[in-house]
Amino acid sequence: MEGESIYEVDSEDGVGADIISTVEFNHTGELLATGDKGGRVVIFQREPESKNEPHSQGEYNVYSTFQSHEPEFDYLKSLEIEEKINKIKWLPQQNAAHSLLSTNDKTIKLWKVTERDKRPEGYNLKDEEGKLKDLSTVTSLQVPVLKPMDLMVEVSPRRIFANGHTYHINSISVNSDCETYMSADDLRINLWHLAITDRSFNIVDIKPANMEDLTEVITASEFHPHHCNLFVYSSSKGSLRLCDMRASALCDKHSKLFEEPEDPSNRSFFSEIISSVSDVKFSHSGRFMLTRDYLTVKVWDLNMETKPIETYQVHDYLRSKLCSLYENDCIFDKFECAWNGSDSVIMTGAYNNFFRMFDRNTKRDVTLEASRESSKPRAILKPRRVCVGGKRRKDDISVDSLDFTKKILHTAWHPAENIIAIAATNNLYIFQDKVNSEMH
Amino acid sequence: MEFKLEAHRIVSISLGKIYNSRVQRGGIKLHKNLLVSLVLRSARQVYLSDPCLGGPGAGGPPQPPPAQQQQHQLPGEPAPGWGDPLPRDSSMEQDPEPAGAAPEPTALPLGLGKLPLEGSPLVTAEAVPEAPRRRVEAAERGGGGGEGAPVEGPPRARHFCCRRLGCSPHGAPRADCGCRPRPDDGLPPPPVCPRKRSASGAGGGPAGCLASGGSPVKKPRRDSEEQPGDQEEMETGNVANLITIFGSSFSGLLRKSPGGGREDEDGEEEEEPQRGPEAAEPGPMYCDKPVLRNLNPWSTAIVAF
Repeated sequence: MEGESIYEVDSEDGVGADIISTVEFNHTGELLATGDKGGRVVIFQREPESKNEPHSQGEYNVYSTFQSHEPEFDYLKSLEIEEKINKIKWLPQQNAAHSLLSTNDKTIKLWKVTERDKRPEGYNLKDEEGKLKDLSTVTSLQVPVLKPMDLMVEVSPRRIFANGHTYHINSISVNSDCETYMSADDLRINLWHLAITDRSFNIVDIKPANMEDLTEVITASEFHPHHCNLFVYSSSKGSLRLCDMRASALCDKHSKLFEEPEDPSNRSFFSEIISSVSDVKFSHSGRFMLTRDYLTVKVWDLNMETKPIETYQVHDYLRSKLCSLYENDCIFDKFECAWNGSDSVIMTGAYNNFFRMFDRNTKRDVTLEASRESSKPRAILKPRRVCVGGKRRKDDISVDSLDFTKKILHTAWHPAENIIAIAATNNLYIFQDKVNSEMH
Repeated sequence: MEFKLEAHRIVSISLGKIYNSRVQRGGIKLHKNLLVSLVLRSARQVYLSDPCLGGPGAGGPPQPPPAQQQQHQLPGEPAPGWGDPLPRDSSMEQDPEPAGAAPEPTALPLGLGKLPLEGSPLVTAEAVPEAPRRRVEAAERGGGGGEGAPVEGPPRARHFCCRRLGCSPHGAPRADCGCRPRPDDGLPPPPVCPRKRSASGAGGGPAGCLASGGSPVKKPRRDSEEQPGDQEEMETGNVANLITIFGSSFSGLLRKSPGGGREDEDGEEEEEPQRGPEAAEPGPMYCDKPVLRNLNPWSTAIVAF
């Protein structure tokens, strides 16, 4: 993989606000959106391939930046609402404009991104600066004409979906019907219509009558890519529930429950935490689901509920360090996972700015690092290895020297090509596999 | 033995996390606190079941609660709940637990999250009497008696469940309330618990208590079931209760018997003569008096918050 690093923000005014909190390609891969802890969204656009340099496929450059969410204070509950963008989801493009949904803990917003590259000139009543003309000087009429201008990208909030959630929103997902989308918080999932902001329909509610009976929360949810009636949600207990909206209005009862029995030999104080699913993604084909828990990624077949069909160890060497990771809160990190366009490779992040890819066909896996050295243009990424004792090769990293503050939680894969976007704290790395551009 | 130390340490760390979560930006994170509470429960189970201290679990692993105990609970399964049902107001002035008070060591999490419906079976299941239940019980009585509760009694909190379903303020539960009045079955009188409670703070709290005394209280939350939409509050007040329960009672865990005096601690000390003075957090903890000394201010700090 070759590297090109972009979007590094100098953090002199505090790293916090620049930490990237979500990354998402649009449906064509032409645009890449990132959200950060400061409530900002930055959209990158891929430059079209130029005929002059056929070898350099399009690079991603900043297309637009805007402030999506601001910090709010709920005076009634004495609660501050963070402006951090939890998720961005693109709407399928239906006209010249692009639209995306961005959400923080409480409010979802629909943003419309439009381009303006022409400007009308030749008004009758106004002059070039827009001042009204002295009518006595107007002797003839002219028709204003559109003249080209420098490209301007305008972003405007079209809908604000507020007050739908009592708990913190963790995911949003646009339905394949392109009319509705769902938002999920810890205990509830709501269905919205993209054009209606003053009401939403609650489709899942796992809040117990008595909060002391609470045993699990919703951690992620997603619509099926093709069947507009199906969606899945994951829980903190490690289970997945596939729900069919045709079955009933309130989908508290699942259609399918995907759960793997716990391995009793691995039981520890932290078994429950590490089994909590942090992300769930349908494959592009819609046949499989990918889940990420603290130590593994698992591929599930929609037709088999008893166990995943594949399990990949991301960083099993951490299993003996769970107590320390609990102490420093790393055990609560929510890693995301991603499919490639052909569903043959899965990817997820880890610590020390490492990220891992697993080829489902060849069963080979690789660990790569997102770092400055690796991201010089045309630099080839070198596979990394974590050694867990025993023979240590040159360039191996020992488990104890892993930097747990450098975590890759958010990754995205271009829908069609071998281009990946990796968010490492406040840096965004984009890597392309130029040798194998075609998906196979 | 290592398990016990480990468990002890994990409990302390977990309490710290719950405590810190209250001041985190963005409000209490339900998911994280749920996970922390699960760890806390596991660690406590190990701690109590380890016979090395001659503690309550000396006979072996903790016995599961009797089958008839909870209507919500599967027999043999630890209660999955959060903590003491009575919410607590963090903004209220909290009296630190006096050293001389006898905070009964709380029961296993078995019944911790539940309003115990039958007191006595639980007492037999666990050698350690359950302090939160005592408080609830006293509160029940207090609630039944109206708001003129004795000053030193536990809070006048109404039965949590009753409040939510709109039971009358004087404690007569509705027929469909599901919570049963506590039988006065000869349990020892409730401990003196000077801690006041009222509507809990950061999370909004599910309900407000009617505190005794002249301290300012927040109005209890509306009795009716929460209205949908924007009026519902994030119910994380139980987190505060968890801190209270675990923080205060944990020091009591190291005592052999309820209301036991210092001689029990000495007894423990005798059992472990080789242990040196413990290291400060987060070092390894030893079952020793210095540990208790360190724990008490810890629990006091939590309570005072």
